[in-house]
Amino acid sequence: MTKRLTISLAVLAASLIAATAATATSKDTTITGAGSSFVAPLVSTWTPALGSAFGYSLQYSSVGSGAGIAAITNRQVDFGASDAPLTPDQVAGCKGCVQIPWALSATSIAYNVPGAPVHLKLNGKVLAAIFLGKITTWNDPAIKALNAGADLPNLKITPVYRSDGSGTTYNFTDFLSAVSPEWKSKVGNSTSVQFPAGLGAKGSSGVTGVVARTDGSITYVDVAYALKNHIRFAAIRNAAGKFLYPSLRRITAAAEAFKKVPANNEVHIVNPPPSAPTAYPISTYTYVIVPQQTSHAAELRKLIFWALTQGQKPQYTAKLLFAPLPKPVLVASEKTLKTIHS
Amino acid sequence: MEPISLKATGRGRRRLLVNRAAEAAAVAAAGIAIAALGVLVWSVFSRGVHALNLDFFTKGPALFGQAGGGVAPALAGSLLLVAIATAMALPFGVLTAIFVSEFAPRRIGDQIRLWLDVLNGFPSIVIGIFVFALCVKVKLPIVGWGRHQSAMAGGFALAVIMLPLVARATMEVLTLVPDQLREASYALGVSKWQTVLRVVLPTAIGGILTGTTLAVARAAGETAPLLFTSALAGQLVDWNPAHSVNSIPLTIFQYSEAPDEALHQQAWALAFVLIAFVLVSSLTARFLLDRSRRKLGATR
Repeated sequence: MTKRLTISLAVLAASLIAATAATATSKDTTITGAGSSFVAPLVSTWTPALGSAFGYSLQYSSVGSGAGIAAITNRQVDFGASDAPLTPDQVAGCKGCVQIPWALSATSIAYNVPGAPVHLKLNGKVLAAIFLGKITTWNDPAIKALNAGADLPNLKITPVYRSDGSGTTYNFTDFLSAVSPEWKSKVGNSTSVQFPAGLGAKGSSGVTGVVARTDGSITYVDVAYALKNHIRFAAIRNAAGKFLYPSLRRITAAAEAFKKVPANNEVHIVNPPPSAPTAYPISTYTYVIVPQQTSHAAELRKLIFWALTQGQKPQYTAKLLFAPLPKPVLVASEKTLKTIHS
Repeated sequence: MEPISLKATGRGRRRLLVNRAAEAAAVAAAGIAIAALGVLVWSVFSRGVHALNLDFFTKGPALFGQAGGGVAPALAGSLLLVAIATAMALPFGVLTAIFVSEFAPRRIGDQIRLWLDVLNGFPSIVIGIFVFALCVKVKLPIVGWGRHQSAMAGGFALAVIMLPLVARATMEVLTLVPDQLREASYALGVSKWQTVLRVVLPTAIGGILTGTTLAVARAAGETAPLLFTSALAGQLVDWNPAHSVNSIPLTIFQYSEAPDEALHQQAWALAFVLIAFVLVSSLTARFLLDRSRRKLGATR
């Protein structure tokens, strides 16, 4: 009895040690990333393709842009992902990180209002007033004026915002700051702002969940989440006066209205000028954040290059409403990518 | 002369009634406690049963926008975490217990017992933060395991949870080992350490396994220690202890917040898997304990 016990314990210990040794010595091709829930659907469709192309296991954790920046700053992961460009403080904190635009999509204004039209019409002013808590019911004259003939209920508006640090919040408040001076002075533009009204929820799927369950709610979320969960989203008035809901062509039109890419790759494409009449006004690039010097440099260069080229193909992007990157941005991204070294 | 009545009257009657009422209340309380467990298990099962199929156990999450998929990464991750935790906590717990019950002077033994109980009552989130500060935030000179969330760090945090449970359970059962056995061993000229290894431990093995099983069940359901130590995980099955891995409790939390009804069902199903695991291991532990008690009784 005792002998058998000793032997089995010894075997157990030996196999544990062997297993640990095997995993430690085998070549490590797991690439870890964390951040933006906006880009998470796209990364999840890339994952199997990357596995078969290079044999990489891509482990992406959709924790929000704010947490993603923190994770790469502390080098908890191989790359971070954010829809908000790094602030100067974050650049300094991250010690030698670069941001590379690797996908392009739009933030939808999703709502759950029984009886409302499929694409409710809203403009920046009304949207700012709703999220400032100034317009509080769906049959408010300001909303009715934009939606002639629509039967809007006398229902309380519940704005739903991201409680975690979020690139989608950045994109949304970037737009509101551009169209509403009051929003700019009272709330401002950041990955996490103090919302004057409403309910908070965590992550893109969190806010989508709250909106799906709450009558009268409205939120801002990556258009892929609204589409997947069959939640209606608004047509937003752009600078040319057109009411547009996000589509691939309209996102591309917004991106093409801005041709210059600065050295730090930070490109804002919200509220494009009237010269782009078909542009959806709340579009954004989303960035992958990589340390310039990293032990996984070769793998990361391959992986991100694949994402910038193969990964932009419609088979991965179209259904999720990610538009292909325009040429100038692609060139800038590839140039930055070349500076990653081990 | 009136016949003597056996019916209780006055004070006696009141006592009888109070007795009945107290008994009824006790039975009702016991019934409610059992019923709560029954309702809980049933409601979790009935909501999750539709998501239980082979894919649920063998596949990773479905691609965005597609149906199906499973929770294999969470199951594998929890298995790995608990295995690491057990490998760490079991030897330390058992050795601590042997020290206290066989070697330590009474005063020191009592102190250790006390501090183990304090550790057992420690908030698990604090243990999570402790392990985060110890081996996630700083670089340890162990082969690249420091400075990262990892299954090793998560397993370590769970091991801290398990250690007092294993140690205390082992102590209890070691004190049950009859002294006659030890004396008989000494009488044959066997040294102390050999007595512990060859006589005391084999006699107590059932109880030790029980304590370990209960500790494993507790660790498998812990969420807080993993939040800082093994939460940045992807969507693929990963057996590498140097990587951050998924776990059952964290996945339940994430899925329950999702907008997708299918994910809610998977969260319920995963909760049911966890409950089933805890129930089965508790029952197994009970069975092992009964058997070892009977065996110890027989040697007495």
